[in-house]
Amino acid sequence: MQEEKFEDKEKFEIVQKFSGWKEILKPTTEMKKGYYSYAASLKDQEYLNLPFPREWSPLDDDWKLPPNWKEILINKIDELRKKYRSLQVFMDICVRCGACADKCHYYIGTGDPKNMPVVRGELLRTVYRRYFTKTGKMFGEWAGARDLTEDVIREWYLYFFQCSECRRCSVFCPYGIDTAEITMLARELLNSIGISQRFTLTSAAACVRTGNHLGLSPGGVVNSIRYAVDDIKEITGIDVEVPVNKKGAEILFVTPSGDYFAQPHWFTFIGYIMVFHELGLDYTFSTYAAEGGNFGFFHSFEVAKKINQKIYKEAKRLGVKWILGGECGHMWRVKHQYMATYADETYEDALKVLEEPVNPVTGTVFENASSTKMVHILEFLADILKHKKLKIDKSRNDHLVVTHHDSCNIARGMGLFEEPRFVIKSVCNHYYDMPEHAIREKSYCCGSGAGLLADELFELRMRGGMPRAMAVKYVHEMYGVNHVTAACAIDRAAIPTLLKYWKLPVQMGGVTELVANAMVMKGEIERDTDLRGNPLGEYLEVEI
Amino acid sequence: MSVLGTLVGVVIPYAAAIIFVVGVLYRVFTWSKSVVPFKITTTCGQQKSLPWLNRTFMDRFDSPSTNWETAVRMLMEVFLFRSLWKNVRYELPAQTAVSTKWLWLFALTFHWSLLIVLIRHFRFFLQPVPEFVNFIQSLDGFIEVHIGWFQPHVVHIMITGLTLLVALLYLLYRRLAFPRERTFSLPSDYLALVLLLGVAITGLLMRYVIPVDVAQVKELAQGLLSFHPPASPELHWLFMLHLLFVSALLAYFPFSKLMHSAGILFSPTRNMPNDNRVVRHINPWNYPVKGVDWDEFYEEFKEDMEELEKMGYVVKPEEV
Repeated sequence: MQEEKFEDKEKFEIVQKFSGWKEILKPTTEMKKGYYSYAASLKDQEYLNLPFPREWSPLDDDWKLPPNWKEILINKIDELRKKYRSLQVFMDICVRCGACADKCHYYIGTGDPKNMPVVRGELLRTVYRRYFTKTGKMFGEWAGARDLTEDVIREWYLYFFQCSECRRCSVFCPYGIDTAEITMLARELLNSIGISQRFTLTSAAACVRTGNHLGLSPGGVVNSIRYAVDDIKEITGIDVEVPVNKKGAEILFVTPSGDYFAQPHWFTFIGYIMVFHELGLDYTFSTYAAEGGNFGFFHSFEVAKKINQKIYKEAKRLGVKWILGGECGHMWRVKHQYMATYADETYEDALKVLEEPVNPVTGTVFENASSTKMVHILEFLADILKHKKLKIDKSRNDHLVVTHHDSCNIARGMGLFEEPRFVIKSVCNHYYDMPEHAIREKSYCCGSGAGLLADELFELRMRGGMPRAMAVKYVHEMYGVNHVTAACAIDRAAIPTLLKYWKLPVQMGGVTELVANAMVMKGEIERDTDLRGNPLGEYLEVEI
Repeated sequence: MSVLGTLVGVVIPYAAAIIFVVGVLYRVFTWSKSVVPFKITTTCGQQKSLPWLNRTFMDRFDSPSTNWETAVRMLMEVFLFRSLWKNVRYELPAQTAVSTKWLWLFALTFHWSLLIVLIRHFRFFLQPVPEFVNFIQSLDGFIEVHIGWFQPHVVHIMITGLTLLVALLYLLYRRLAFPRERTFSLPSDYLALVLLLGVAITGLLMRYVIPVDVAQVKELAQGLLSFHPPASPELHWLFMLHLLFVSALLAYFPFSKLMHSAGILFSPTRNMPNDNRVVRHINPWNYPVKGVDWDEFYEEFKEDMEELEKMGYVVKPEEV
């Protein structure tokens, strides 16, 4: 008999398991379909020079760990706790008050106690106590400490790849303990003994080599842009020219590579190009720094740095004055909080050409980006729309009733809440926010961030995305919302699947798409379709 | 009795105090030695970007952009438990989250009560008693009752003593009774509560049920503080029990999660401003990592790059 697929099940159960602390200390090692990630391929491990490259699978009895893996790992914990105050403090001060417990969308969707942020932290903390604290060494399990065994490694692999590093728990924690930080460092630990996840590593390796996560060659990027200008000509009748690798341009534009061809990213992608053309911006794409995102960030410090350095290097090579970044979530966590810090001399080098960003159209100085020199597209567009530099016909978006999904990273790692709302309200007549517990800093993850967009995690993603889907359902039923926007490429990939799974006839897209759709361009033909190629002003029902 | 008095009244408290001070300093030293490689502020409000964008009063502190705003954020965390205030409870199957403030209420009550009770205890240690201690004491004890059946005199009910007990009982109750909290509560979580309850209950008993000689307590307290403890003090058994609980708590403190009281000040997601793109954060252990540079990239994709050069670095629509 064939096993029923999760996708086809009429309903699923959320079994809330409750146990006691002794149970929590025991490693859970069952690799359940839909919950565990595939192991990184040998090719990628070798390409990135990772430690102990080998073929292995989480289902194997023997993970072929290096003989002294335990020693390596304990030394690595010691190294990391000295390098990251976050780790040292977060290991020491959690009081297990439980404020974070039901804030994790994976916990809500799976009911598995090990998905509570407090317990996810304990997975590492129990080992930390055993080897680094007096009480843990003396009293063992009674002090909440446990030995490091291979089973613990299996458990780490399972659960630190069931965390999308969304930081929602960190908002509610009275000490700001950030499980994303613990997850990131735990993944770094796993990497030190040769354990990586396939999805993140494939993307990261591709990005190091080709300059983008999808592994497009420079010719592929150029082709995508060519399709885009063709599409724009078809929709608007306008010949748009897009500079690529142009030296001496004022602005370097960087966007997540999903935008180059995925759906519905594509409409946002042509949206950027239309807006830049209409504004007469002196900008350029780059094939070397074709990617804004950084999957290395989900893997380890070194891989993140390998990817990160490209943008400043390219800015210097092209001699641009500042950098504009497209709609992406984790990309903006990295750009905002990490990029300039990761960069060493490449930053100082780039400063020889970079200047404080100034909007050439409005003259606005982006003082909030004076050091990093990188501006978010929605900050830029909010400024443009505030100064009414685009001719907007809002009625072109009248068929849409819009709500906005705050992507985790730009919400809790940047604080970008009002810009998207201002932009959407400037180009749409119908906008409704989702309930307060599901937006802004309390926003729920799409369920697929931080390398969890992998197909093999389908069940986990659909369960984890449930709170988001239910918030959409609420506004769909209440206000007839039929369009969700999100300024994140992972969201744009994950949410359509999620909404379809939860049987919500709601479409999904980026914010810039709506701007370009409402924008009346100079010299355009009478438009009869929107950016999606649908008859203008008509909403095509989403199949569910 | 007097040997016991010396042990419980002098030796153990001194030992506990030494462990406490050295232990806490050691832990704090460990934290400050560990470095902060990245500025990872958790932003809980609108960032400071375009000056005309709607930014509420609280956004300034939930997503602080200056050091003083960050300081206010920290003060709100420490004294008002700002993050706990935001707490919500996810409800299945209604699929919504509702505001819940019980944990905030009882946690705040406990911590403030403990603080005020501690301040009130200054009157045992300091002679003359400072004015602010008397003031707090009179505020705290504004309820006067005459309860003849257990103490034949007017009693000032110290509100914080009772709220301390009630809050502690709630904090224990939730760990025992709520399935989620029971799941992740460790023995050490109960230990901390039991020690605190021991301190509170013995203290309350002395105040309301079994009075002890306050003069004697003061003599010991002031003697301990001035490093001239009384020789062989005769102590009441209940007071000794109280002292033992306090000593155990002090000695346990640096080894336990109770260090959160100092740790919160070191939390990198709260104690740094959200000004990352204005002020570059320097990672003290940053080291270069070799990636693919432009020349290598050009070599690998030479054909594509030459094609692009021929196009004049511009992509145009196909000629129809």
